[in-house]
Amino acid sequence: MKGSCIAFRTRGGSSVFLEENHTLPLVDLQLTLRTGSVYDPKGLEGLTRITASMIRMGTKRLCATAVQEAIDRLGAQLYVLCAPSYVHFTASVVERNLKPFLSLLDELVCRPAWRPADLDFVKRQTIADIVEIRDNDQMLAVRHFRRFALAGHPYGRSVLGTIASVKAIRRKDVIRLYGEHYLARNLIIGAAGAVSEALLRELLDSSFNRLSGAKPPTEKVVAPRFATGRRVLVVDKPARSQTQILIGALGTSARDADYFPLLVGNTIFGGTFTARLMREIRSKRGWSYGASSRLAFDRQRDLWSMWAFPAAQDALACTELQLALLEKLIDQGITRNELAFAKDYLIKSHAFEIDTAAKRLGLAMETELFRLASDFHSRFVEKIRAVTRDQVNQALKKRLSKRNLAIVIVATYEDIRKQLESFSGVTSISVVPFDEI
Amino acid sequence: MSDSTATEIVRRLNRAVRSKSARLRLASRVPFGERLQVCRYILGNGLKVMLLVDHSAPVVSYHTWFRVGSRNDRPGKTGLAHLFEHLMFNETKNLPAGVFDRTLEAAGGESNAATWVDWTYYYANIPASELALIVSLEADRMANLVLRSAQVESEKQVVANERRYRVEDDVEGTVSELLYATAFKRHPYGQPTVGWMADIEGFSVKDCRNFYRTYYSPNNATLILAGDFDQQTALGLIQEHYGRQKAARIPRYRPAVEAGQRSERRLAIRRSTPSQRLLLGFRAPAFSDSDYPALVVANEILFGGRSSRLYRRLIRDNELAVDARGSVAPFCEPGLLEIWVVLRQGKTAPQALRVVDRELERLCAESVGKRELEKVINRLDLAFLQGLESASGKAERIGFYETVMGDARSLFARRQAFSAMRPEEVQRVARRYFRKKNRTVITVEPGDGELA
Repeated sequence: MKGSCIAFRTRGGSSVFLEENHTLPLVDLQLTLRTGSVYDPKGLEGLTRITASMIRMGTKRLCATAVQEAIDRLGAQLYVLCAPSYVHFTASVVERNLKPFLSLLDELVCRPAWRPADLDFVKRQTIADIVEIRDNDQMLAVRHFRRFALAGHPYGRSVLGTIASVKAIRRKDVIRLYGEHYLARNLIIGAAGAVSEALLRELLDSSFNRLSGAKPPTEKVVAPRFATGRRVLVVDKPARSQTQILIGALGTSARDADYFPLLVGNTIFGGTFTARLMREIRSKRGWSYGASSRLAFDRQRDLWSMWAFPAAQDALACTELQLALLEKLIDQGITRNELAFAKDYLIKSHAFEIDTAAKRLGLAMETELFRLASDFHSRFVEKIRAVTRDQVNQALKKRLSKRNLAIVIVATYEDIRKQLESFSGVTSISVVPFDEI
Repeated sequence: MSDSTATEIVRRLNRAVRSKSARLRLASRVPFGERLQVCRYILGNGLKVMLLVDHSAPVVSYHTWFRVGSRNDRPGKTGLAHLFEHLMFNETKNLPAGVFDRTLEAAGGESNAATWVDWTYYYANIPASELALIVSLEADRMANLVLRSAQVESEKQVVANERRYRVEDDVEGTVSELLYATAFKRHPYGQPTVGWMADIEGFSVKDCRNFYRTYYSPNNATLILAGDFDQQTALGLIQEHYGRQKAARIPRYRPAVEAGQRSERRLAIRRSTPSQRLLLGFRAPAFSDSDYPALVVANEILFGGRSSRLYRRLIRDNELAVDARGSVAPFCEPGLLEIWVVLRQGKTAPQALRVVDRELERLCAESVGKRELEKVINRLDLAFLQGLESASGKAERIGFYETVMGDARSLFARRQAFSAMRPEEVQRVARRYFRKKNRTVITVEPGDGELA
């Protein structure tokens, strides 16, 4: 693989990562802040996202329209992504315009204007986005799933917020959050592509230095607790021919010693096209176009989940099959052949985690963001190679649960009501209308 | 690689083969940007082979593009090209069902496929060390697929579920299908690629076998390899595994002729959505048409980025919409320029349509300023470069341009056409295509019920 990530710090104390590659006259940039929706105060959910959205809405010198005009004119793109534990500003720019674009980014991040009219616009836009979730069954399922599974925990809050919480956000809340979290030492800067180390150092010498040098706040998120029993939530939406089913429990965290064995276990269960879930649900029965499982991680334990979307008449049979497959996985573990297959897959496909400069940069940034062990990604192959069958089986037993599960089904309730009456082994079934979001 | 080196490789490889169908020919060698080049070979059986060597990462993207898509589906058999794409991941004479994907995954690869109106393509991204494996797997399923009733029936269910997911429970999918069915009354572009549900349910094993025999042959396909490999090794493997396959007689494509549109077509439907939607489809030129680049630029002026004209009018200034997008269908034959607007709650589609119409009229009436045009060209250039970041992106673009334009070189010619665009050209195509009589308008209102 050509290139290796260079790391240094700016004068202000921000970490910088560079993955140089001159194949194309293109530079990908990423600004990551160690903040996120976990810091949203109660009743002001969505504040982190709105603050981040306001960054691109104008500076003391440029109005919002002028900012959008400048980004587009430079042949650049800028996206804002908020998650529970980070905020990403992801950008790309043609090489010839790197200098003015970086200067613009500096101005956006360090000199936001917080114009009241722009804040009102962003709030209205956010509320419209929340309303539109009703139209997308998959997004509807995910929003309800996190809230239902992690009720009361910051990871269970919606990054977008609710209509009421967004309405409650005031300008002073935004300015306070910015002041507390948009700090030089909270910022990780990444560049990948056609930029040399010397040029990047020169450009960053005059960028992001106006951010405060104050000490970042300490994250105080505790480990989530998961409710007991198999709980079902039906999100009732009319005129559905299909259902969206998410089933999950607590999974793993960024520095969990069981992470790599769990990754192998998840790969076998639902991580590839030929994994157990896909084989049983799609290939053998044709019940769902897709079926997979996902092992997310955050600083504390995040959710492990499985997803399928069968037709309404197959909803219960599909759910029961998924649960039976999970029980089998936890009780009987994996086979030697499955272990060998999953390790081969993960080791050999690792080439696609690092085949572009932007992807290599992403791994370096993630290591820094979550303060992972320095060899978490760089020695991925060796770590996977060392995983044993016992480790996988023990990790599955220890980390996943077959008893305590959240089950969210987006469906037309009337179409699956009779099926649910015969759904055994569940502790509760509740129903909410789809437009109650 | 020079011409003489490529010719020498071909000569060396051909020395070892007897069958005409396995003989290679170097057709052309063209630059791919400043640092790379694409070598185009043709096997004796008609298989086109495009090779792009790029050692920047130890991976290879292996694409097989077939010149068959949903435009080749007959009425009553819509969705067959797409169903067939699913079936290609099943059993062959040499591999039991499920082994294709399993073998590829064990090798660290991943594969998938896509079907649209003009083409079907299959790709596999693999570590460079697994080149021989993917050549043998792909060649095998091109010639030796086994089609049995159980697999066809199971895959029909999967596709029915895909249709529910993408169309029936998805408002945008529903309306898009309706737009093409309304705009194209005779031409097969009016048929959904996934197929009508009744057609999906009605396919037989015989339908699938006939389709395979008709369209899946080397002379109807192009292989594209992009990534870290040695040309001679790759060509040797291709010769060995595809060289015995025979060319087939591909039926001449004769689509029903779509009459020119003489008046605006309108439809209104109700669906369970939180707000109104508006979809417009203007008859637009084919991807290879000389008007196409200017229409893409016009679309970019209207919808490209947050400073674009209609983003500002619809989303920012008037706060009528949550989302506003436009695109020009990249089809072999004339398609549609689509405009999609998701209204805010309480706002109406007619309000949005008035704003859209005003901006379209402005584009027709006023010449685009130099600065605005430069901005749009910069944005298109960024998108062009982003598409070439990975081996897979490069292979996909080569496959697309080779299949739709008949020549991968036109990828860079298209970039050149954008950068040389003149304001008067944009205005000319805007006047030609943005005519009310040339369009179909579909509005969606929240609620239950069928067509109004």
